[in-house]
Amino acid sequence: MSDDHTPHGRGFCGRTRREFFWEAGASFAGLALAGLLDQGFFARQTRAATGVPFVNPLAAKPPMITPRAKSVIFLFMYGGPSQVDTFDYKPTLYGLDGKTVPVKTKGRGGERNEGRVVGPKWKFQQYGDCGKWVSDLFPNVARHVDKIAFLHSMTADSPIHGSAMLQMNSGKIQSGAPCLGSWVNYGLGSVNENLPGFLVMLDRTGGPISGAKNWSSGYMPATYQGTVLKSKGPPILDLAPPEDMPLDAQRAMLDALREANEAHLLSRGDNTELAARIASYELAWKMQEHAPEAVDLAQETAETKRLYGLDNPRTAHFGRQCLLARRLVERGVRFIQVYSGGAHNDDNWDAHGDLVKNHEFHAGNTDQPVAALLEDLERTGLLDETLVIWGGEFGRQPTAEYAEGTGRDHNSYGFTMWAAGGGIKGGVSVGETDELGSAAISPGPGHGNGDKPGFHVKSLHATVLHCLGLDPNRLSYFFGGLDQKLVGVEHVEPIHEILA
Amino acid sequence: MASGWTVQTRSWFAVGLLLGEIGGGSTAADTTFTRDIQPLLARRCYSCHGPDTHEAGLRLDQANSATAELPSGMRAITPGEAAASEVVARITSTDPDLRMPPEGKPLTADEIDSLTAWITAGAEWSAHWAFRPLARPAVPPAAEGTSPIDAFIESHLIAQGLPLPRAADKATLLRRVTYGLTGLPPSEPEMRDFLGDDSPDAWERVVDRLLASPHYGEHQARHWLDLVRFAETNSFERDGVKPHAWRYRDYVIRSLNDDKAYDRFVIEQLAGDELPDPSADALIATGFYRLGLWDDEPADKLQARFDTLDDIVSTTGQTFLGLTINCARCHDHKIDPLTQRDYYGMLAFFQNVTPMGDRQMNPAFIERVIPAGNGTVTDAEHAVQDLARRRAEAEANLAAIHKRLAEHGQQALDDLTRKDLAAWENALRDLDAERASLPLALVVSEFGPDAPETFVLPRGNPRAEPRPELRVEPGFPEVLAPPAPAITPTPNGRSTGRRMALARWIASAENPLTARVMANRVWQWLFGRGLVRSTSNFGLMGDPPTHPELLDWLATELVANGWRLKALHKTILLSRAYQAASTAHPEALARDPLNDAFWRFDQRRLSAEELRDSIHVASGRFNPRMFGPGVYPTLPEEVLATQSVPGAGWGNSPPEEQARRSIYVHVKRTLPVPILADYDVADPDAACPVRFVTTQPTQALGMMNGDFLHAQAREFAARVRREAGGTNADQTAAMVRRAVEIALVRPASDAEVNRGVALIDTLETVDGVDPSRALELYCLMVLNLNEFVYLD
Repeated sequence: MSDDHTPHGRGFCGRTRREFFWEAGASFAGLALAGLLDQGFFARQTRAATGVPFVNPLAAKPPMITPRAKSVIFLFMYGGPSQVDTFDYKPTLYGLDGKTVPVKTKGRGGERNEGRVVGPKWKFQQYGDCGKWVSDLFPNVARHVDKIAFLHSMTADSPIHGSAMLQMNSGKIQSGAPCLGSWVNYGLGSVNENLPGFLVMLDRTGGPISGAKNWSSGYMPATYQGTVLKSKGPPILDLAPPEDMPLDAQRAMLDALREANEAHLLSRGDNTELAARIASYELAWKMQEHAPEAVDLAQETAETKRLYGLDNPRTAHFGRQCLLARRLVERGVRFIQVYSGGAHNDDNWDAHGDLVKNHEFHAGNTDQPVAALLEDLERTGLLDETLVIWGGEFGRQPTAEYAEGTGRDHNSYGFTMWAAGGGIKGGVSVGETDELGSAAISPGPGHGNGDKPGFHVKSLHATVLHCLGLDPNRLSYFFGGLDQKLVGVEHVEPIHEILA
Repeated sequence: MASGWTVQTRSWFAVGLLLGEIGGGSTAADTTFTRDIQPLLARRCYSCHGPDTHEAGLRLDQANSATAELPSGMRAITPGEAAASEVVARITSTDPDLRMPPEGKPLTADEIDSLTAWITAGAEWSAHWAFRPLARPAVPPAAEGTSPIDAFIESHLIAQGLPLPRAADKATLLRRVTYGLTGLPPSEPEMRDFLGDDSPDAWERVVDRLLASPHYGEHQARHWLDLVRFAETNSFERDGVKPHAWRYRDYVIRSLNDDKAYDRFVIEQLAGDELPDPSADALIATGFYRLGLWDDEPADKLQARFDTLDDIVSTTGQTFLGLTINCARCHDHKIDPLTQRDYYGMLAFFQNVTPMGDRQMNPAFIERVIPAGNGTVTDAEHAVQDLARRRAEAEANLAAIHKRLAEHGQQALDDLTRKDLAAWENALRDLDAERASLPLALVVSEFGPDAPETFVLPRGNPRAEPRPELRVEPGFPEVLAPPAPAITPTPNGRSTGRRMALARWIASAENPLTARVMANRVWQWLFGRGLVRSTSNFGLMGDPPTHPELLDWLATELVANGWRLKALHKTILLSRAYQAASTAHPEALARDPLNDAFWRFDQRRLSAEELRDSIHVASGRFNPRMFGPGVYPTLPEEVLATQSVPGAGWGNSPPEEQARRSIYVHVKRTLPVPILADYDVADPDAACPVRFVTTQPTQALGMMNGDFLHAQAREFAARVRREAGGTNADQTAAMVRRAVEIALVRPASDAEVNRGVALIDTLETVDGVDPSRALELYCLMVLNLNEFVYLD
């Protein structure tokens, strides 16, 4: 590593601020990124991934296979939307409303062998050239079905929010593993040094349960963890100096700091960490300057804002986040996660009580913004290189949770997610649930599910990595004596049926 | 980096030859095999031709099978004849269908050379270095007055033609050792005393003083807490508080301050409850079992049960033994000679341990009353029984009175009865208060003296059929040639005694790993890296020791000194190696850039806790109060907003409490504290043997813009103003001087005073900042200095 680059820590000593910045424009990236981890770190990680140490954990890295997408926008419908009320059309279910049928379910209320059917509460219509049936909850998204690949037989290992959230985000039902966004940044690095490579936007009601565990880098260094992008005020924690430190004063302080640090570096020129730390302050200064621009919607036209529903209080919050997601993709951010729903109960898609009220609310808040995102990405030419994922940590049961009412309990035996954009074939639907929509019945075994049918969360993760040019079965990180992989020990194929 | 590895391999090959002559204990071939060949085979070959998988009938981890005739009629390895060894043909083949390994990059020319040379030299296998019995190696001959540590290190340096280390200056040394032992900077008087003390034992007295400091235990405990995945909540949806977990943290601090023998420390944590009449500490120590993740609402209870047991096996294996036994949960270990039977044999020791509870944490499983002061647990439990008896008596009497009143009506409620009733009611209330004030600890417990059977679970599937041939008894990993466990159920009938059998084996001098692993950790804590860098993986995938004989010498030293860690610390601290300068030597740097040979002392960044504590020391707000329940630093609103219930499970301690050492900050799994998380605090979901050291712009943002830094900079400036003195004319210079002295514990140079004054002047005159704020910003700058954050 020390042979490969020599950060010229001493080089900018004695230069004026102006000279430094002029040069920074040309060569700063190399200096800033090189050596952001210390040599000891490299030494400790001698078994990382390929057996060859990483030279630079944050620098953009070549993909392992031909990439189909550069960025991911994961629209996380926290709480678990009901598949049979949204995209998984089950015509026979309407007629069964109120009837008790034998069906094996497992949710927060435990395991049952029969239940009272709650018929779908919305009508379905066919849309697009593919004739996809979509419920009236998503009239806007429905206009884009020809761009979308629907995965109707997703399965997860847990029907309980805490562990299911962890699995959807990190592949494991226990906390402590790096999240999908961490793996993507670990595998590909980041091309924009002014913004973190893994950004998370939360619902206005609060974070999801387990909070920061949902964007943790787990056993990987914090370099790869998600950063929360705030919807109000400075977008990132501590991005803005406090009011009583004007920018000029801050710059004067940073100049003095740099000068002192350079003097300190003189006799320690071989320590790349010290040079990297000097560089990190300049990088922070640049982030401070440029990151607000990324979230400044003043540059967007009125038409665009309307498209995302920013003029409507119902859609304004999620619409703003979807628009931000497009702007972040434009700026090279690798992985963006946007939460619909936060906190607990009906603040998210967790419709245990009044299904209609809950889903009307959340679908109504998000339908137009999601459609706008797909449309906007397409018209700006970004859709081809942006993978959009939609879904929750699980789905919901076709039967009622309680003796009365329309509330549905959690369901990880079969649920719907969808993907669109870079690397994805549009207008297709793959995998099926049974005629009640309660459990996956196809495709057969071999999709991360052991001997059971359906597409396991792991196969979705494999698909995301594959589309980004990473081999899910080779992207590994040595920890705890094992080459850990996002998709686990067993070989997992991406979902070829939806790949363009 | 690639070339760095090559340099390392070659040079150590040479050293190996030399040591073979000096040490007498190991041969050149032996050293070559363990250092060069076995790691290469393990990394590149064993996953298909190793302990678990024998593709094409070949396994390369054992001499007899690797040299045997294969089903194909060929021999993979023919000792002494590289040309007749199929391995050589295959690793050098240019035909991608034939070349081995089939995946990843081909072996490098250097790797091929060393493998070929080893085969030509006779292809000798030897047992993995860490699994061999521990024996005291001979100390290389050295000049009189050379400590054994320096004899080992310097003989290697000389053999490699590397320069011997230069001594660091005294100020550097004091700062290094004070942080190294206590995690805090030296005070100004301590610095003055040491610099002014020319007596030959000045250094030794400093070492003794620091080893006796109560801050020693706090800092060393932080290392240990990383290893036992210490956190005070369960993670998952509710992330509930583990009751009394802080007592475990205090136990660790106290034990290390008291220099508790390490073997005792091990036994208490693994089986303190199975000691006869355990002390309070012995019970508190077993909180070890309760510190991990716990899903209170698992999707699959049986799976969750085995995940919990896996956490215990994994943490125990890695922390005490440096073994990643966890890798053999689903199948035999791919690389290390650890079988699934070994894994489940280890798991069997814990099979009877109760869970945290079922949905709710169950006090009957996880809490026990502990005695105050020097009392015994038996005394405490007698007190509890006595309380229970008195409570029953009070209840019975109350019940009798109420019954009488019910039978005879209110006319029976005369004055005396009224008083009698009130007295019993008061007594009941007092007894409940007394019960509530009894100190409780978070402990392990078992379901009783009989454990359920344990079976190997193929593919780790907890629902695998328990076939008789898969049944295992508690047992230690076979490769260590262990004794049979001596298991005796505890006389009180509470538990099986299995954990005590395990603890006694781990804590024995005959265990080849325990002392090596711990001696290596002590070295790591002082030098920043272990002699074995992978400090929790002494297996084949771990890094081989850079100084194997030194490691064994230290391990035997630890045992010989009654497992006292302070004695080992002192031995190391008195070495020249520890007192070496950190400055670079161009040639040494070129040849050994990672400083494998210890030609200098490695510079290091402060840990997250050291940094936060140092800021409090500089600001003058540092509160040295020790022990007790965790403290809650004020968190920015946007951090709390990431929770599903913002602020849930987080308190707000008064400012003076927040200024206590970071080890007392409440560890909530789902709510990391920004300054600690930014600076790479351990993720507590798994044992963390080595922390990352990352450098990222988000750290800089927090350090220049964050609330915590600005608040501390204000306090620091106020202190500087108070302490600076000086006349009006040179007031600013005096304050700058004072700020440097406080933060960096050294005099300020005139040049830096001038620069500081210039900054303050610019802030006031150019940027229009008022004088007091200008001083604060100057102080903020000082807290951001690389010199403040790094040690030489």
